[in-house]
Amino acid sequence: MNKKIKNRIYFFLVSLITFLVIGKFIFESIQKNTIYFFSPTELFESNNLPKGLIRVGGMVKKNSLKKINNSYEFIITDYNKEISVSYIGIKPNLFTEGQGAVVEGQLKTRTTLTASKILAKHDENYMPKEVADALKKSGDWKKKYGK
Amino acid sequence: MASNFANLVLILSIFFSFLSNFFYFKNKLNFSIKFFNISSILSIFSFFLLLYFFSISEFSIAAVYENSHSLKPFFYKIAGTWGNHEGSLLLFVIIIALFGSLFTFCSNKKDIELNALVIFFQNNIFLIFLLFLVTTSNPFDLIIPRPNEGLGLNPILQDPLLIIHPPMLYLGYVGFSLTLSLVLAALVKKRLNSEWAKKVWPWVMISWVFLTVGIGLGSIWAYYELGWGGYWFWDPVENASLMPWLAATALIHTLLVLKSKNEMKNWTALLSILTFSFSLLGTFLVRSGVLNSVHAFANDPERGVFILVIIFLITFTSLAIQILYSENTKKFNQSFFSKESFININNLFLLFFLFVILLGTLYPIILSIFNETVSIGPVYYNTLLAPFVFIFLITMSVGPLLKWSQNINVKSFKLLLPVSFISIISSILIVYLSVTHNLIFFLGILGSLILIFTIIYETLFEKKYLKTYFSARLITHLGVGVLFLSIFLNAFLSKSEDFEIKLGESKKVENVTFKYMNQKVAKLNNYVELETTFELIDDRYNLVLNPSVRRYLQPNQVTSETSIKSKLLSDYYIAINFPEKNTTSLGVRYHFNFLIYGIWIGIVLMVIGGLVSANKKKY
Repeated sequence: MNKKIKNRIYFFLVSLITFLVIGKFIFESIQKNTIYFFSPTELFESNNLPKGLIRVGGMVKKNSLKKINNSYEFIITDYNKEISVSYIGIKPNLFTEGQGAVVEGQLKTRTTLTASKILAKHDENYMPKEVADALKKSGDWKKKYGK
Repeated sequence: MASNFANLVLILSIFFSFLSNFFYFKNKLNFSIKFFNISSILSIFSFFLLLYFFSISEFSIAAVYENSHSLKPFFYKIAGTWGNHEGSLLLFVIIIALFGSLFTFCSNKKDIELNALVIFFQNNIFLIFLLFLVTTSNPFDLIIPRPNEGLGLNPILQDPLLIIHPPMLYLGYVGFSLTLSLVLAALVKKRLNSEWAKKVWPWVMISWVFLTVGIGLGSIWAYYELGWGGYWFWDPVENASLMPWLAATALIHTLLVLKSKNEMKNWTALLSILTFSFSLLGTFLVRSGVLNSVHAFANDPERGVFILVIIFLITFTSLAIQILYSENTKKFNQSFFSKESFININNLFLLFFLFVILLGTLYPIILSIFNETVSIGPVYYNTLLAPFVFIFLITMSVGPLLKWSQNINVKSFKLLLPVSFISIISSILIVYLSVTHNLIFFLGILGSLILIFTIIYETLFEKKYLKTYFSARLITHLGVGVLFLSIFLNAFLSKSEDFEIKLGESKKVENVTFKYMNQKVAKLNNYVELETTFELIDDRYNLVLNPSVRRYLQPNQVTSETSIKSKLLSDYYIAINFPEKNTTSLGVRYHFNFLIYGIWIGIVLMVIGGLVSANKKKY
């Protein structure tokens, strides 16, 4: 084998290893920091409950919003299944009963979630895309919005 | 009437654009350039027509009706022109034309062979987008009968910065179309050499400056107007603008090698193609409605698919041209401690940053095709990028001290000793004083300080650096140093807290006491505004802040007007939420932001350096 080819093989191997190491590094990081979205129905049907941060979206059930000291409790529904959410913090503008919302936090049980964040919306007509999809999946979209 | 006239102008513009292509193939190069310029002027004229229609609220034009209102202040009527999908696309198209025409006026007239081919490519990019505009999103669509009132502009977009933020960003994005045309023309004519690098330099620099200004303004907008409390959120929309910026920055550095050594030709060509492709990808991500954001105007999937097809068309045609026409470059010898080798390392880092951001941005979009909804948290970007910033900053300090393709030059390294010494001492001092014991924090501060002190040392002790030849690099790199120093200090020393407070109540959060002193409700034209007065007391200051919040009626929306008091090193920042009916308590978002000024100063320095460099007469 002449020197040139040898060098090339070394070069190739070194780059390959570097790429694999960096790739593994990136891949692990992306997996660790991916926040999955669930609808209440999906959570109800899932076999293994997700650990770590997740997002849940749906409509805030009418007459479910309660305030106890400085924490809020409310129910997120996709008109099929429900999740009780408790949240400490301030309520974003335009977060009201009967409107769509996405919350981020950790599951305590299959139907209760401690939220660390309520994702704000832009305006009253705006429906978070995730919520719209979740409602479509639960089959309630047609009844409510006729599309 | 108005609509017909404007449409006629656009159609004439398309006609002349085709004519320009026709004459290029007939080898009548002068005519080809002239007809491109006519087409360009017509399209620019049509944009001014749209501006005029917005300013007089001509509601028979669909775009005006959907995005304007007769009661709006004049400035926002103007800004409304590009505050919607159709208008912003027209702006996009005319900037392609503008750069092409400016090129024909500024370039050396004798070199008609190359110029005509550059204009040929520019004309075709222009034509593709013009056809896309007219067929899918014509801004001059007519409404019959003419409505009496418009629907109004999204209140979040009603901000003075909006008048300049999108045009700046577009001038940057689209400016790189000319870079691409220049590269393609040079490839075909086998003219990709030092001389060409000098020719393309000011155009790349000016686009880079516009892009930097655009990103900076977006950041300022998020901080001061949107009430987000910070300057960068790894939002896909922000990432979309950072990706072409990183590619362009890498391109600028390979251009230096091409200019001085006539090397790295293929790399330069590839980066030019990537830069414009990422600009297009940015536009696609932001405008197609794939992402949910303030920026997504078009929620029409059909348009999104069209833009995607255009991106693939332009990118793959360009790559094909590069593969077909690229020359075999001979292998060149270089030592590790040479300027070009450090530029290579710098390039790899920039591309690594770009790749990480690309993956984080596209991953959720790709998964959404498989019906899985995910989002990537900012932690992903911070953990992957921050550790590498240190090495990146060190290569930035050392690289410029080295000579082209030479072995280690001991003399230039002398200054690194005192500089490292001062930097390490100051970094330890900062870590000690701020009580933040974190390795990433220490390395980030150390890297930035080494870069800053190296530049200060160079300016003070090396006379040759005082000449303008070097000043552009010194200013820009100083800007980067200041930027990263501020980013690290801000990231680790800022605090934020959300809480509720009642009128008249006092609350102590960490070491700050808040008092909700007063409130006032004002009813204005199209919104209700709640103005409040807060008193903040901490160990050093006693401040009064006046945050307010507006509820717009048409369309129904709430926007926060933040109140920020800047002190020497830090900002005290309050935004409030609109209170519930029948409650007296108010949601408060408080941020203590450290050294946010440093970030703006860093960006301004980079822009000044870029302008100096673009304006250099001699290379």
